[in-house]
Amino acid sequence: MNRTFPAILIFSSVLSGCVNTINQRVLDIGDETQLQKRSYQSRIFDTGDKERVLRATISTLQDLGFVIDRADLVLGSVSGTKLQGHQIKITVSVRPKGDDRMLVRANAQFNVTPVEDPVQYQNFFTSLEKSLFLSAHAGE
Amino acid sequence: MKTLSVFVLALLFAGCMQIPKDAFVVTPELLKQREIETRRYDGISEEDLLIASSNALQDLGFNLDNSETKLGVLTASKQRDATNRGEIAVLVLFALLGGQTSGAISKDQTIRVSLVVRPVLDSNGKPMEKSEFVRVTFQRIVRRMDNSTYSETLLNEKLFEDFFERISKSVFIEAQKI
Repeated sequence: MNRTFPAILIFSSVLSGCVNTINQRVLDIGDETQLQKRSYQSRIFDTGDKERVLRATISTLQDLGFVIDRADLVLGSVSGTKLQGHQIKITVSVRPKGDDRMLVRANAQFNVTPVEDPVQYQNFFTSLEKSLFLSAHAGE
Repeated sequence: MKTLSVFVLALLFAGCMQIPKDAFVVTPELLKQREIETRRYDGISEEDLLIASSNALQDLGFNLDNSETKLGVLTASKQRDATNRGEIAVLVLFALLGGQTSGAISKDQTIRVSLVVRPVLDSNGKPMEKSEFVRVTFQRIVRRMDNSTYSETLLNEKLFEDFFERISKSVFIEAQKI
């Protein structure tokens, strides 16, 4: 009994495909193409002010209950973690696209799985739009 | 063996749990929390306020993890004991009554804080001179005796009041250069 229970658990978890720790998931190629992923994870804002977009991103993440892990103006990146029984980690990068536009890209993970639902990203960008008083365009 | 089962079970659930639908939606509750977590300070520059804040965090025993002064961000953490007498008393009582104790007593905790300073905007959306908002958020990850963990965001209003009082004192000390 004392050995079979964990063995069954491990076996069932492998079968169900929920636990991927046994696989190496470094490159993590799913069903989506790189381009598809980029398109729902990115938006373009009509401003050339990188600092403004980054500060709005930080405010938005705080509004959503994230604790900021790190931020870097030169790199244009912000990372945050939300802990509420579960864990959500997000990294947002902001980089200039021409002189007067900014490309914002986000990628998130929920516990041990990547967030791949475009609706979640749409919600994030809607929250960011409100904080920036600018509307986002799809692009790239 | 028991620990292994718990671990595998936890992994199983972790892998299958679904992300909440409104994970990236700002709800009215979250907006209310924003008010509790934010204070306005006038008559001090962003740089001085950041310095005062980092001193206040040090006063509270936090170690600085990361900072980006150009964006007004400070993150810090500390590890502390998390045993509490109430929890132990309940378990002892339970054991005395013949119950099987699970060993689920809190052992230690990591407390994380992020503090963000941003300028107050005037009616035209321009940053005001020497008027700043400070917003602070806390999380803690508690490890139990059986090495399982649970995590939470701290939402206690009193905690924020006390914390901002520390910052105010620190700002005062900075201003006076004592």
